[in-house]
Amino acid sequence: MAVARRTIEPVPAFEAAFAQARERLPGAKLPALADWRQASFARFREQGIPTNRVEAWKYTNVARVVNVPMGLAPKVQVRLDDLAPYLAGGPKARRMIFVNGHVVPELCHIESLPAGLRITSLGKVLEAEPEKVTAILRATAEDDRSFTALNAAFAGSGAWIEVDDGVEVVEPLQLLFLTVGRPEPFMTHPRNVVRLGKGAKLRLIETHAGSGEGQSLTNLVTQIELGPDSALEQDRVELLNDGASHIGKAYVRLADRARLVQTVATLGGGLVRNETEARLDGSNIECLLNGLYLACGKEHVDNLIRVHHEKPASHSDQFYKGVIADRAHAAFAGKIIVHKDAQKTNGYQKNDNLLLSDDAEIDTKPELEIYADDVKCSHGATSGNLDPVALFYLRSRGLERETAESLLTFAFAAEVIERFSDETVRRQVRRVALSRLPGGAALGDLA
Amino acid sequence: MLEIKDLHVEVDGKKIINGLSLEVGAGEVHAIMGPNGSGKSTLAYVLAGREGYEVTKGSITFDGQDLLEMEPEERAAAGVFLAMQYPVEIPGVANMYFLRQAMNAVRKARGQPEIGAAEFMKKLREKARLMGVKDELLKRDLNFGFSGGEKKRNEILQMAMLEPRLCILDETDSGLDIDALRTVADGVNALRDPSRGMIVITHYQRLLDYIVPDRVHVLARGAIQRSGSKELALELEEGGYGALLGPEFAHESASAGAA
Repeated sequence: MAVARRTIEPVPAFEAAFAQARERLPGAKLPALADWRQASFARFREQGIPTNRVEAWKYTNVARVVNVPMGLAPKVQVRLDDLAPYLAGGPKARRMIFVNGHVVPELCHIESLPAGLRITSLGKVLEAEPEKVTAILRATAEDDRSFTALNAAFAGSGAWIEVDDGVEVVEPLQLLFLTVGRPEPFMTHPRNVVRLGKGAKLRLIETHAGSGEGQSLTNLVTQIELGPDSALEQDRVELLNDGASHIGKAYVRLADRARLVQTVATLGGGLVRNETEARLDGSNIECLLNGLYLACGKEHVDNLIRVHHEKPASHSDQFYKGVIADRAHAAFAGKIIVHKDAQKTNGYQKNDNLLLSDDAEIDTKPELEIYADDVKCSHGATSGNLDPVALFYLRSRGLERETAESLLTFAFAAEVIERFSDETVRRQVRRVALSRLPGGAALGDLA
Repeated sequence: MLEIKDLHVEVDGKKIINGLSLEVGAGEVHAIMGPNGSGKSTLAYVLAGREGYEVTKGSITFDGQDLLEMEPEERAAAGVFLAMQYPVEIPGVANMYFLRQAMNAVRKARGQPEIGAAEFMKKLREKARLMGVKDELLKRDLNFGFSGGEKKRNEILQMAMLEPRLCILDETDSGLDIDALRTVADGVNALRDPSRGMIVITHYQRLLDYIVPDRVHVLARGAIQRSGSKELALELEEGGYGALLGPEFAHESASAGAA
């Protein structure tokens, strides 16, 4: 009997790309960095690319994404006008802008930061403090995940954000990643590191947008460390093109009484895979993970969430909603793991889906894994179509079928949209969500 | 304006309406009374164009147009309005927003310009006051968490805003206390107009004390068994279906299920 193959061979193109890139990445000459990148690439080579036989990748076939040779993209010129549709956070927001993986310093707005707030590019801190930074980045190496290893091998792009103890940052910070399509396929490997000290507060907006045709892969890794009593509100919007694939994983660690509110909207992208692994390493933590995916055409969106309750008396809540139209395919796998010592845990999870066509597909798998005996946990998943009685009601008042369908769909999605912490993000998501609905034009004033 | 001829309707293969004919002229109010399962609500839904009601025979014309060929929204644009027995709760859609959407959809279909925000608000406040619908209710999600009475008032408010030519009220009195019944009836009476026809479907004569009909029809077993003036409703109230229609109808009221 043949042994089930766990991986496919990473295409040799990755080798070529790495050989080229390692000479040019930030701090390439620093031995500590070069060795770490080399070791990371070796780990990637060893782990390979997961196939559908790996449970966590059952519904997402990445072979078609990685089976093309991809190099790193050269720098491209963009004007602020090109970015205007994606700017969020209001006029006072601080901002870092990355285009095809390269930070664009002249378009960033991170000067004259208050004491206790550090926002810079990963490339810069890698060059300045290679030992300290790689020690922090290394935390993700425990994870047996090839895309994370690949990201480490190419590390150099991304944002480094540190908020010191007791510092409450008033203005939101936007990280904008723009992918501008090119004739040749290319990849980027951004890594964002967000570290909040004791009692620190930050509102973070992360925007991943795409323009132009062409194939690309964004292999993102995010590391979030929240100190005791700190609070992070993270709004994340993905507005990618059909040719763009986005594979990301966020590693989140929360200490006592920390609070995370993460709200994600996926509103486009040929293949989008978002993973979040949150470790609640303390008590009285609040970890709220909200998500909306609105997939049309032949898009593929896959969300995978793992919430680990490691200590007693913390609260987590996953609330994901999906709208799947046309021939799109979505998957959701959420899991709450309550460790042995995590008594008095409250863990909730809900995934509701609206299927708008016979060819749309959703695979949803909510899971609980509980090793403590005094916990309150629940999970649930639904999928269904628009309510025909509600549709008739709206149409009987004069709304055209398409408008009525879009209005009901939008109402379904709005429950998540209202959870974004930033009003400009809410407006942006409403606008884009409406533009993706066939009858959305008639409902423009809902944005 | 409305002409129903020999209408036969089936739901899931079951015959509900069997040869119903009815004419409603402009300015007239027709009451339709009947026991449970007689086909009252089916008639209302067929007029409004709900899916799942199969017309196997007969015709319905509205202002000379074949109503059965029209989509629900086309009927609304033409001026048909059904105030439903069970208005649907729609979370996530604000009541006021919906009303404006509906008004503008209907106006657009009628070739009229969209109503401006200020004009809309003025009209809405005026009609809402008349119907006893509070501001707070206008801002809430459509019918979501409304009490039975609030839902019915909201239906009549929609009717007042959309100014239909044919109003169909399906058991608008059900679940209303006497004060709410009066408010709703006042709202309906305010819409009585020489150019507007009304069909008032009810179980009980009580509503007809407030909305006085020109004609009363008794519907049973899917067809109109008797028609008469408003006194017919009183006669029915006193003697029941058996006395009015014959002993074979005596137990109709007890038959289960609304159709």
